[in-house]
Amino acid sequence: MPRETRTIDDMNNALFVDFLYTLRDYGVPASPKELLDLNIGFEKGLVKTLDDLFIFSRLTFVRRVEHMDGFERAFAFYFYGVDIPAVAPDDMDLFQTKQFREWLSKQIEEGELPERALYTMDPQELMEKFWETVREQMEEHHGGNKWVGTEGNSPFGHSGNAEGGVRVGGQSGNRSALKVISNRKYIAYSEKNKLRSDNLRQALESLKHMKNVGAEDELNLDKTIYETSRNGGEIELVFEREKRDRMDLVLLIDNGGYSMDPFIDLTRLMFSKMHERFDEIKTYYFHNTIYQHVYKDFRRTEPLKTEKFLQRKDETRVVIIGDATMAPEELESPHGSLYYYAQDPRSSTYWLKQISDRFKHSCWLNPVPKETWSSIYGAWTLNRIRDFFEMEDMTLGGIKRMVEHLSET
Amino acid sequence: MTATAEHTFEGSERYYLDPELKSIVNIALAMEKPLLLTGEAGTGKTQLAFEVGKALGMEMEVLRAKSTIKGEESCYNQDTVLRLNDARFGAGETGRQVDKFYDYVIWGPIGRAFRADKRVVLLLDEIDKTESDVQDNLLDILEECSFTIREINETIKADIRPAIFLTSNAKRELSDPFLRRCYCHHIAFPSPDQMGEIVNLHYPNTSPKLVEAAVTIFYELRDRGFEKPPATSELLNWIGALEHNGQMPERDDPPLIGILLKRASDIQQYRDGGGKRRFR
Repeated sequence: MPRETRTIDDMNNALFVDFLYTLRDYGVPASPKELLDLNIGFEKGLVKTLDDLFIFSRLTFVRRVEHMDGFERAFAFYFYGVDIPAVAPDDMDLFQTKQFREWLSKQIEEGELPERALYTMDPQELMEKFWETVREQMEEHHGGNKWVGTEGNSPFGHSGNAEGGVRVGGQSGNRSALKVISNRKYIAYSEKNKLRSDNLRQALESLKHMKNVGAEDELNLDKTIYETSRNGGEIELVFEREKRDRMDLVLLIDNGGYSMDPFIDLTRLMFSKMHERFDEIKTYYFHNTIYQHVYKDFRRTEPLKTEKFLQRKDETRVVIIGDATMAPEELESPHGSLYYYAQDPRSSTYWLKQISDRFKHSCWLNPVPKETWSSIYGAWTLNRIRDFFEMEDMTLGGIKRMVEHLSET
Repeated sequence: MTATAEHTFEGSERYYLDPELKSIVNIALAMEKPLLLTGEAGTGKTQLAFEVGKALGMEMEVLRAKSTIKGEESCYNQDTVLRLNDARFGAGETGRQVDKFYDYVIWGPIGRAFRADKRVVLLLDEIDKTESDVQDNLLDILEECSFTIREINETIKADIRPAIFLTSNAKRELSDPFLRRCYCHHIAFPSPDQMGEIVNLHYPNTSPKLVEAAVTIFYELRDRGFEKPPATSELLNWIGALEHNGQMPERDDPPLIGILLKRASDIQQYRDGGGKRRFR
């Protein structure tokens, strides 16, 4: 992924073409049109310092706030030669990134850290050390990068309030590109980020307007007048369909077993937002997987026959929330249910298939992060269930894809 | 960042302008691109457009979007009822002539902005409330700076491109083609320091101690993950009320909490011991 950092010669003949590709590598959907806009701005003299360039190119290339973090990292890489991993500063996932691994082995090699630092040191401390190095690197901005510190040679000319072309650390409230990037304040909007109530609301909002049907019983006054006058004064009534946002949504929630415990908060949040978003929403509960009954209440005392459930209109949107991890026999074998009183001769796979066959617009929402789907305990059943349902995780990106599945007609 | 002096925005008395945002506004003005501002309530999206208009001495044209809007009426409306009436009963002494289309046109904000003989600020407020095809139509119009009057097939084109601002509460996602045509900026919620400056602009005479205490409590409340966290306007109202009452905000039991927290469930949660940590 990483490309060589730039030299001054590139600037003179290239119109930042390779910056475009760097951006695309970092997940920012940049196109040549924006590159042209960027160059128009150069001609207009909009860019005098690297900070100007940062703000201007961000405006030009970034459309969605979820691409903001990618842009900042691409910018840091291209102009500062620093490769920032795509995780939040306090995220333990840092330890799995390539950047961290490389840094760690270098530190160990240089004797800065003990051999088994990853196991012997406090993770918090280790993380802080890493981010400190990143910050230092950005401030020193060495490593063959020629954009910064070229002073008189800089393509951006002299800059009155900057040292060597960059305002390091910012002065009197001035925000430098550097400071903005090291803040990482847009990571929260990145697609991989977990859900919070505000971004969830936004994602669900796009489920709107999927169904604009109803009888043609609303008088359109404008059109009536228009048609009447076209009709030489003879009254011509124009009726239209009422526009309503109506969708039949059913939630099936796995609320039993310890395996869902870590996800209770997340599920509850999802649940409350779904209710906020849709006036009419039906919820049923199950434990681990679905057999011949689903339950109308949280405590699972009021059963509803799954057969009965299957009689709902086939345009019903079904969202199943569960971790989909269990023992294989719970899913596959007849009488698979853990409950001794369940006398179901058919396996759960049978019922899941029935549901997915009946309701084309269904989606399985899994609180377990997608990255771990192949490795967690119970991965076998999880992936088996994916044979029947589109499965997404509960990240912003996952919810958006779920909305897409449900919106298909 | 330079643009011609008359079109450089420097902020104004009652509006705290973040330096970064200032650059962005000026870039958008210089590049003649629509600037889409997103961000949660209380970040001053709408106000920014008004301040730009005020600071640069430009007239404002404002379209407050509704979900029922179709786009065309924001450019022009033909008063068909009046025309029908005139056709049937005569225009009397109004001077209108039934065969003259323009006698019955009511210009919408976009129409007025395009026909103006000076550069104006055109604000399309809460654009996300409209349907997505309406948004696409509107942007065609804004990009070309022209629209066609369907009834007589005439094109209205702006001689002077207005400075266009759009705001969105991000209630609904905007489409990619829409976003591609504007500059987009997400206004982050002000930091405590910035908030101090904002408060000072509104209450220059309030004691700094009160302001500091209030702002601290305000950010603590925001961190607690309420359904509707208090926003800037609530803080300003709260400080105003505190000053009026001569009260000092106390961390343990802030007075007039109802000004900051609006939802019943939030107030309940607050009373029950302060609420959960923000969900991560």
